[in-house]
Amino acid sequence: MSFAVQVDRLIQRVYDWALRFYPHQFRSNYQAQMLQCLRDAMADPQLSQRTLLSILIFDLSRSLVKENLAMLRDAFARPALIYNALVLAALSTVLALGFYAVPQTLLRQSLNDPQIELTGNLASEIQNGASPQALIPSHPVDMNTSLSPFVIAYDEHGHVLASSGQLDGVTPPLPAGVFDYVRQHGEERVTWQPRHGVRIASVVRHISGGGFVLAGRNMREGEARIDHIFTAAQLMLLAMLSIIVGATLVYGWMTRTVRPVAA
Amino acid sequence: MSELDPLSPAVFAILFSLAGGERHGYAMMKDARTPEGGGVIMGPGTLYGTLDRLMRDGLVAEAGHSDDQRRRYYRLTDTGRAALNAQLMRMAATLSAARNRGLMPAEDHR
Repeated sequence: MSFAVQVDRLIQRVYDWALRFYPHQFRSNYQAQMLQCLRDAMADPQLSQRTLLSILIFDLSRSLVKENLAMLRDAFARPALIYNALVLAALSTVLALGFYAVPQTLLRQSLNDPQIELTGNLASEIQNGASPQALIPSHPVDMNTSLSPFVIAYDEHGHVLASSGQLDGVTPPLPAGVFDYVRQHGEERVTWQPRHGVRIASVVRHISGGGFVLAGRNMREGEARIDHIFTAAQLMLLAMLSIIVGATLVYGWMTRTVRPVAA
Repeated sequence: MSELDPLSPAVFAILFSLAGGERHGYAMMKDARTPEGGGVIMGPGTLYGTLDRLMRDGLVAEAGHSDDQRRRYYRLTDTGRAALNAQLMRMAATLSAARNRGLMPAEDHR
């Protein structure tokens, strides 16, 4: 057997093997014809072995990708399938958002609870004539490290009269806009950030005789819990989306239409 | 694919080859390789992938006879002929415009 014949047989064998990578339906429709095409090309004296090889390699690399993509498109690019997957993904996203937003809101609001009571009591006592200096504990609370509530009393112009809250040894200034708002509305519940990384859940109340009281506490612990809930919500969303994608792929594959040979 | 859509080189080469009569796979590949057939070099994968889509779109059909299971013949349908004609008209218009712009020598009517 000549060398050229041996090479031809090898090319046929390799090509036959490579045809396995076409989609099953395409292969069962055209494998025999493609092999015959190859045999015809090998028998063509106008086509050199080298040219044929380069045509085959280029053709395989392009058409394998194209036919497999076409098969995937036939299997999965169906409006009903995509619509169902998108609806389920949207529902999962809403569910995960709810899973995060509801406890986040409740937790954030609960961080204000002691301060609401503290400002209420303090404002009422100052209104009744008590001195702020006498009411506010002299032992300072470090806003950065301590989780204990602290209170600050201000005059009508926003100057500190007495304070149990300190940051780096001083009572940090409250943004002036807060006083303006509280003057008009009576009370404000606000997240105060006196320094980067120090976040205070604060309640500010106007005293009817003039002045303000603020009660606050570091939000570190509460925010750590909120972060955990956020991570859990993200994982939940990821798991639900994975299930939806997996189930859609399996269902799409199981219900794909098998195309008969067109006549 | 609508019969009025422009054709890709491979589709044009296959339809043009079948316009000359019924052909089997390699005959189409061979026709397509010639300059007058479109000069499109394609292998069996591209040929049968394109034929599959053309049959689905009704531009090409199996001729109904074959040497055997391995060598089937294909023919152009009326829709396929209309698509080919539309493409040839477009090409003729382009050719005429190219001549008018001096991009090609004027047609010799001798």
